Amino acid sequence: MVKDRKIVCRCEDLTEDEIIHAIEEGYDDIESLKRYTGATTGFCQGKGCLMHVLRILAQKTGKSVDEIGITTQRPPVNPVPLYILMEGERE
Amino acid sequence: MKVAIIGSGIVGLSSAYFLSNSAEVVVFERRYPLYGASGRNTGGITTMLGNKELIDLAKRSMKIYDDVQGEVNFNFLFRKDGYLKVAKNDIDMEKLEKEYYLQRSAGLKVREIDPFEIKNMIPGFNPKSVAGGFYGEGGVIFPWPVIWGYEKGCKARGAEIKPQTEVSEIVVENGEVKGLKANGEFFKADFIVNAAGAWSNEISRLAGVSLNNVVIKEEICVLESLKPFINPYILNVSNGVYLSQSARGEVVGGIVGKETNELNTSSSLDFLIRYAKGAVEMVPSLKGLSVLRQWAGVYDCSRDGMPVIGETEVKGFIQANGLGKHGMSIGPAVGELISEMILKGKSLNNFSPNRFQS
Repeated sequence: MVKDRKIVCRCEDLTEDEIIHAIEEGYDDIESLKRYTGATTGFCQGKGCLMHVLRILAQKTGKSVDEIGITTQRPPVNPVPLYILMEGERE
Repeated sequence: MKVAIIGSGIVGLSSAYFLSNSAEVVVFERRYPLYGASGRNTGGITTMLGNKELIDLAKRSMKIYDDVQGEVNFNFLFRKDGYLKVAKNDIDMEKLEKEYYLQRSAGLKVREIDPFEIKNMIPGFNPKSVAGGFYGEGGVIFPWPVIWGYEKGCKARGAEIKPQTEVSEIVVENGEVKGLKANGEFFKADFIVNAAGAWSNEISRLAGVSLNNVVIKEEICVLESLKPFINPYILNVSNGVYLSQSARGEVVGGIVGKETNELNTSSSLDFLIRYAKGAVEMVPSLKGLSVLRQWAGVYDCSRDGMPVIGETEVKGFIQANGLGKHGMSIGPAVGELISEMILKGKSLNNFSPNRFQS
């Protein structure tokens, strides 16, 4: 049912059930879970979904949020279009 | 027979996969699978390489990918829409032409392609940005499911994979390997395979064997997802800029890396600027797309550009490294070679680590 679908990650269209399924498949650390599901790799780069994914992972594994840690944060902080980057000076 | 493999990248896992039907295999991984170059590359697969031996390994690897993804029941998302090498000037075109004759004589399906034909193949491509190009077999694979699939297959065949397990000592007695120490524990081994990629020099030193591979650092970035329109993988050999579109629609690309002395994976703004210029020059319609994420990886390359595969002066210590930027293209077949060396005593002079000793 539509109302049962809890969306965790809007960019990659992931539901809570899909995250739980991935954890049960053995992708139960945050870096593996990120790569297997695509969570935190969309347009928001985790700003909208990382905390939800952490909560689900903590609940499923019994680990604390501190124990789980977070994914490596990669630049840029916000998406930057190529036409702006092109204006940069080389070296 | 006990085999210890150091490194869970494409070479280590492919070796483990082929060996584990006949030997007791343990794979030692200092961090986690995907941490090294096999988890950081853009999945460009090509057979259009510079000499017959590498071409044969690449052809064999394409076949192995097809077989393994069926055997382990894991989709590698391998899209075989071809590989395009383009050049901006006549000097580089001549180099590609020389490779082309060699590739044809090795039986590859490769042809010269006109810039305007590239434009028909890739909507939005600027034909004036290149002098010409060559088009051949290959495409884009998704490196993550490749590694996961191999992990699954290795485990199903009885191999053990130990993440977060750092090898601190390789025990050699009377010129022969006896085993290794990892996380403080001793593991007996008849053979030790050094498939540690950019870290291969350090591992080799533990066995008292000199290796001296060159370490290359390369940067990559991902743009927003779009409906697929870039089918082949494109490499501009003149400025090293390459790009492709992943199965998820993201435009993924980078610039061929440079030698480094430090094994760091920091990202730079300078790379983004150079990439933006190079990518937009080839495909101007990309200019409105945003960079979502950037990262870097390190890989190793031998001093003559050929992989280092074979037994060293220490009996049982086997090199399986120095694949350079062709790791994903030839790694599966390198793993098969390693298993044939260990199980059947096969050896290949062109790849032998002993070629650097004089």
